[in-house]
Amino acid sequence: MTSELVPLLLSGALFATVGAALASTKVSNSLIALFYTSMVLGVTFTVYGDAVLGLLTMITFAGAISVLLLSVVLITGESKLDLGARKLAVAAVPLVALTVGLAAAIVFSGQGGGQGTPDLSLAVLTFLWSSRPWDLLILVTVFGAAMLSIITLLGGED
Amino acid sequence: MASDQAILLVTGTALLFIGVASIGVSKNLMKSIMSFQVAVFGANLALFASGLGFGSRLVSDTFVALSVLVGASVESVGLAIVVVVYRKYHTLNPDEIRRLRG
Repeated sequence: MTSELVPLLLSGALFATVGAALASTKVSNSLIALFYTSMVLGVTFTVYGDAVLGLLTMITFAGAISVLLLSVVLITGESKLDLGARKLAVAAVPLVALTVGLAAAIVFSGQGGGQGTPDLSLAVLTFLWSSRPWDLLILVTVFGAAMLSIITLLGGED
Repeated sequence: MASDQAILLVTGTALLFIGVASIGVSKNLMKSIMSFQVAVFGANLALFASGLGFGSRLVSDTFVALSVLVGASVESVGLAIVVVVYRKYHTLNPDEIRRLRG
């Protein structure tokens, strides 16, 4: 029962937050809903035995990209963070708290989402470092190209 | 009942298609970037779920890690383009931008 409930609950939370993000007419509301989507996705990875991917997703998307999006929203003045956004944020808190709480309970009780998979935290990094160095090289190239593009785009304006 | 892998795979694929469809119908470049982020989430979840049914998930997990970082890079470049477009046209509506370009 639990192993069937967990993916359904996580999928429902993902669809709810994505629906709120895309259906909202205000960009600030979408931004808050996307933050919760990132959190739920990170929890999903963690529940299924990969804490590194979960943390990476949360740090990258819920942290860095959300702040970037917020900066661009404020720069462009497309939306003000008004009372409506705060209401949506408060409304989404119980959903995310329920999902995170259930996931934490399952992780700590050792049921692990039904597949019985071990924690791959360090194994992924070791495998990436030792067996796929070209992927890391490509990643560094992509990062460098992205930074150059941003500098060129934003540095050319007066 | 469907397995965890099937549920997550369907969810990831659905999110991918929802994100791609939303990019096409969006009337705001910021919402397009957010739709792209949803598509990246879907792709990551589908990649992750594809490795759940097998003994070793290292390859699928590695590709998810790479996809997260590449997606973040692409999205940051997209946001920079949005800022540049807004500076030039003072709007983020693609139709309006097309009309102003002539």
